[in-house]
Amino acid sequence: MQKTIKHQFFFPNPPEVVWEYLTKAELIEQWLMPNDFQLILGYDFRFVVKPMPSLDLDGIAYCKILEIVPFRKLTYSWKAGPGEGKISLDSIVEWTFVPKDNGTELQLVHSGFKEIENFNIYTAMDNGWVKQVGIINSLLIK
Amino acid sequence: MAQQTLDAFQVIADPSRREMLYLLSKKSLTINSLAENFDMSRPAVSKHIKILNVAGFITIQDIGRERHCMLKQDGFNELQEWINFFDKFWLSKFKKLEILLQQKSIK
Repeated sequence: MQKTIKHQFFFPNPPEVVWEYLTKAELIEQWLMPNDFQLILGYDFRFVVKPMPSLDLDGIAYCKILEIVPFRKLTYSWKAGPGEGKISLDSIVEWTFVPKDNGTELQLVHSGFKEIENFNIYTAMDNGWVKQVGIINSLLIK
Repeated sequence: MAQQTLDAFQVIADPSRREMLYLLSKKSLTINSLAENFDMSRPAVSKHIKILNVAGFITIQDIGRERHCMLKQDGFNELQEWINFFDKFWLSKFKKLEILLQQKSIK
């Protein structure tokens, strides 16, 4: 079972420009979602989208900034749930900015889907190596 | 009934149910032999098994007088759907950002 989302994109702009689009609320909104982001370590902010009933999400992502390395790295938590303060999705979004000759490579890792990580049983059925991880996990969750 | 509104994540959020699935990942078990692994009342075990069954994580087959539980893929697929959703979500957002930044670099 896939547990981590990874993407990388190249942009023909320097890291400083790409950085702005990930750290200024009004610029983030242009491509991602309405938000009240502020570039402050430990700052709590939200993304607001339309509710997604099929995934049992109310459309609000509760985030906290966990790491800031200017123009190089940005990490925040991403929690969501069906509403009334219930959190069913507890994950981490990590952005890495790699300077290139003629632009920036932006890498995204969306990981830490805790309920899935705690739950390696299905992969344990899949193959022997993963099975060991499943066993370790099941010991850890006890 | 309450358990029918449980999503896959709520189902596996319970440690006893995770343990049941873990035991069943090694081999299929009768309800009785599964219950032996848990320090809880038989009705409590039955309740968890029912939830796992309704949510599509296990299937129950009657063989002779015994009821056998085995893993089923459906429940696990729902977990995967969540990841798939975010995978597509980010891809579409990246494309938007790409267009914005291309416009900016032309200016």
